Amino acid sequence: MGVIKSKRWFLAFLLPGLLFYILAVFYPIEESIRLSFMSWGGIGDKTFVGFQNYIDMFRDRVFYEAFFNNLIYLVIVVAMQLGIGLFFAILLTYMTKRVTLVKTLYYVPCIITTVAIAQLFRSMYATEPMGLLNQFLQAVGLDQFVTSWLANIHTALASVSFPEGWRFTGMYMVIFYAALVSLDPSVYEAAKVDGASELQILFRIKIPLIKDIFLLTLTMCLTGALRGFDIPFLLTNGGPGNTTELLSTYMYKKAFSSNQYGYGSTVAVFIILESILVVFILRKIFSEKKEAKS
Amino acid sequence: MKKKAGKIIFGIVILVFLIIQIYPVLWLFMASVKPTVELSSTPFALPKSVTFENFIKVLSDGMIGTYMWNSLKVTGVSLILIILLSGTAGYALSKFRIRGKGKIYAFFTFGIMIPVQITLIPLFIFYSRMGILNTSFSLILPQVGFALPLSVMMFVSFYNFVPDELIEAAIVDGCNPGRIFIRIVFPLARNTVITIASMYSILIWNDFIFANTFISENSAKTVAMGLKDYVGAFGNVDWGATYAAIAISILPPLIIYFALNKWVTAGMTMGATKG
Repeated sequence: MGVIKSKRWFLAFLLPGLLFYILAVFYPIEESIRLSFMSWGGIGDKTFVGFQNYIDMFRDRVFYEAFFNNLIYLVIVVAMQLGIGLFFAILLTYMTKRVTLVKTLYYVPCIITTVAIAQLFRSMYATEPMGLLNQFLQAVGLDQFVTSWLANIHTALASVSFPEGWRFTGMYMVIFYAALVSLDPSVYEAAKVDGASELQILFRIKIPLIKDIFLLTLTMCLTGALRGFDIPFLLTNGGPGNTTELLSTYMYKKAFSSNQYGYGSTVAVFIILESILVVFILRKIFSEKKEAKS
Repeated sequence: MKKKAGKIIFGIVILVFLIIQIYPVLWLFMASVKPTVELSSTPFALPKSVTFENFIKVLSDGMIGTYMWNSLKVTGVSLILIILLSGTAGYALSKFRIRGKGKIYAFFTFGIMIPVQITLIPLFIFYSRMGILNTSFSLILPQVGFALPLSVMMFVSFYNFVPDELIEAAIVDGCNPGRIFIRIVFPLARNTVITIASMYSILIWNDFIFANTFISENSAKTVAMGLKDYVGAFGNVDWGATYAAIAISILPPLIIYFALNKWVTAGMTMGATKG
């Protein structure tokens, strides 16, 4: 690929973008790693503390809570986005009319700022005045489930995870739908002739064929959920107690509320390692599957 | 008969999902035109009377104009930079035969994995030392930086479709690489430009995390930030005005989305399938 051999022109075209990218993305990474070995309160001198921040982090009860909350958040978000996204994409493939319209409308939540979404859900979850969710529960006679969803320690985490899952199902639906309709019909027409049911075709042929897309969406979804921030931060800011604290909200709080910039950076470094690790593992699974196939 | 019943159930399922997905958004617009009294007594019913009082209140308060202008500035400048920087870098990485090109490309795509939160602390410290917190630039830098990996990738994959023979012919005709870019390659990438611009205009307009970290002064706030302040700013009784403010601020992305629908979804799904 490529035909032009002039080094000078190559650099002239490459460098502006490359330098900007390094300044905006890699300089902060380097600084975060450096800061994670320091203790600094925002003013005065930074002191080098070696691995102390890391040791503190692995002894920090709240850090573990945030980590496990993040896992639950991740499970809910991934299950919703991929599960509902795939389910709806499958439904759409059986639709004959107005597919584009439905797709377009279904995608709308992805377009709206998280601040607006947080506000919407805040009023839906509320008890004072009775929000949509609680009114619905009352209407169908499930009064015992009426609660202040965001203030209740048992429901808060699920309540902050739901909007994030809801917001992106449309996007995954579009991806899955595109993958499903691009399949060559001749592959499953034969099975149909042999008397396979629609469900068999779906689970035995269609879904295995879009496995690649599944792993890619999974990567996207997992890294997205690991860095989840906006909605939990806006809705509950970690509370009540630490029940909805996620790693990134905890990092934020440590740095910008408690002025522990060093410790905050340590958590940030942890988040970055975690994301890279997830991508790495998934790619590994992905490539192994490919090898097994060929 | 059985087939027909199945069709109806199928239609209902689609409809239910669709309602779950868009009802909250519709409700938002409905709530914004409801009189305050109605909003507190029957918040989820269709409005009996429509009022624009809420919108007038928000607009006369004046701040939303400033917020919108700030968002527009940040979004506009970021988009121009994203297109220019990734358009040129993509050209370098696609149409030049230089050793080590692949490594540089891998370096760019590595950025897709990096969570944006990593920049918050270092950039905050950097900005406060330079005294540039509360400026549009403080938002533009990370916005552009984190958009580059995907947009470079999109440009490269488009340029790879441009036949090398075309470039060779232009070289033979005495065209230098700069002219080739301006006259031939970049104009061909129109669709890529629209895809990237429509997708990132929405993402940047909606950004919350950078604005929340780097902006604290009212005069520099973007829409998303400003909205956060609107929540409860009119007092707990006046949700109507809050919803009106939300409605105004989500309108520009919605307009872009409905106008450029094809490109927005193409860009966003590309982000997924390339990652």
